[in-house]
Amino acid sequence: MLERFPRTRIDHDTKAHYQGWLDRRLLLNRCCDCRRWHHPPRSICPSCWSTRVEADEATGRGVVHLVTRLHQGPPADGVTYDPPHPVVAVELEEQEGLRYTSTVVDCDQAEVCIGLLVELTWIEREGAPFPVFRPTPDSGRSQNA
Amino acid sequence: MTRYPVKDQVAIVGVGSTGFTRHAGARTPASLAVEASVAAVRDAGLGAAAIDGVCGTTPAAHKVAAALGLPEVRWFSNQVPTVGFSLLEAMHAVYAGACDTVLMYHSMYRTPFWSRSAARDPFRRHAGPGAAAAAAGVRSDPEDLFGPMGYPAWASRYIAEFKPKREHFGFVAVNDRTNAGANPLAVRRDPIVMDDYLAAPMVREPLCLLDMDIPVDGGDALVITTAERARDLPHPPVLVHAATAGLVDRNDEAQLPGLQRHGQHVVVDALRERSDIWIPEIDLYFPYDGFTIITLAWIENTGWCQPGEAGPFLEDHWTGDRVLIDGRIPVNPHGGALSEGGTQGSGHVREAIVQLRGEAGDRQLPGAESALVTPGGFFFNALGMIFRTDGEARLG
Repeated sequence: MLERFPRTRIDHDTKAHYQGWLDRRLLLNRCCDCRRWHHPPRSICPSCWSTRVEADEATGRGVVHLVTRLHQGPPADGVTYDPPHPVVAVELEEQEGLRYTSTVVDCDQAEVCIGLLVELTWIEREGAPFPVFRPTPDSGRSQNA
Repeated sequence: MTRYPVKDQVAIVGVGSTGFTRHAGARTPASLAVEASVAAVRDAGLGAAAIDGVCGTTPAAHKVAAALGLPEVRWFSNQVPTVGFSLLEAMHAVYAGACDTVLMYHSMYRTPFWSRSAARDPFRRHAGPGAAAAAAGVRSDPEDLFGPMGYPAWASRYIAEFKPKREHFGFVAVNDRTNAGANPLAVRRDPIVMDDYLAAPMVREPLCLLDMDIPVDGGDALVITTAERARDLPHPPVLVHAATAGLVDRNDEAQLPGLQRHGQHVVVDALRERSDIWIPEIDLYFPYDGFTIITLAWIENTGWCQPGEAGPFLEDHWTGDRVLIDGRIPVNPHGGALSEGGTQGSGHVREAIVQLRGEAGDRQLPGAESALVTPGGFFFNALGMIFRTDGEARLG
């Protein structure tokens, strides 16, 4: 798995998450005892201190909570910064305050805004799957934006 | 009764700065830190033998001690920016008796991460945040909400929740630039008006070029000792009245609970418990301005106004071309990170001390006796401190 992500710092706490990328699954840590999710991955549950934490699959559906558009940034496959590249933190439907960050594809970039309903999809970066968001088919502004 | 015995027991007795530049100078972070350190130690009326504690950001404390030929150091430490962390370390070490007199330093260095001109300097290729990672070829995706990226993202949330005008952010930028006009250390002293702010290019939307601090080369240093010893040294002592850091559990940039609860709120709560002085009875105000959104948040979270109201607050207290709260309290009178230069708080701390000594020249607020300095952001570097003049020294 490390060979698929040669330039990414992966350690024993994050390896399950990146294995999920290879399988095109969004795997986030969840406590086996109190059932709360947390991200980024920690070795214990921050809520109850249980050491029984596992990487569970999240649906990848949620609401855009934060958005910035980059007019410049590091080089990346397929990213030109023209139009400005949107970066969003999405609040996932599993738990209030549980957020995942990526870009949004398959839409006019002007549509990307706080409150947009999104779902997960996958593109390729540096020869490996990369999780991104796209508007849901019935996407509109969330009532709770 | 809050347990806080260090209150008023530690003093700043020496100040040094190299000034700031954006030109590609043939300097290293070490040379900048050392130049500021020599100036601060001499300003304190001391020499190498008097310094038995060293702490700062870059370079490593033992290297600064070696460059300065410090013969005997009993306490030394390195901390991350902002300089508030180093100040906390130094004051606690002095108070505990780990050492008597600390040299605290900070250097700023334009690096490829921040500056295209720095990227062209072959001697800077391996410097700055991400340099080790870049040198190791570590991947950096545009979607990493690392460090500075968190602020434009939360600015979008602020805008969605409170619907401010862009001018609200602009007040912070214009105020800083006006104040920098009177500061010989500042890199940008040419005045701007609101139209200049509104016309500035977007960089990480919704933040534009004038919402972001200016990468600079430079160094700042302080000498810190006990309040008692300070009274024998050349300058009027400036006491650390209260100081704190602030952190909440979900402090990752994307996971922050919200604008209603983060490190700044913890700082404000702790300072209010520890301090005998609070707003509006302070004379000088230094809210961090690495990004304008941070400043608006500090103003609201400190309690000057309600959440979402920082823009109208600044407008209500606007006089001519800058802010004077209640017609008397300047905000970042040195020009802040946006115009003096991105010093990660050492500029704010330095200006507070110089003002409280009565040595701020054209910028001097007459009779200044206290300063509230909050050098830090939302996530994992929120800090705050209150400095005051020394009543005992004046009576003596």
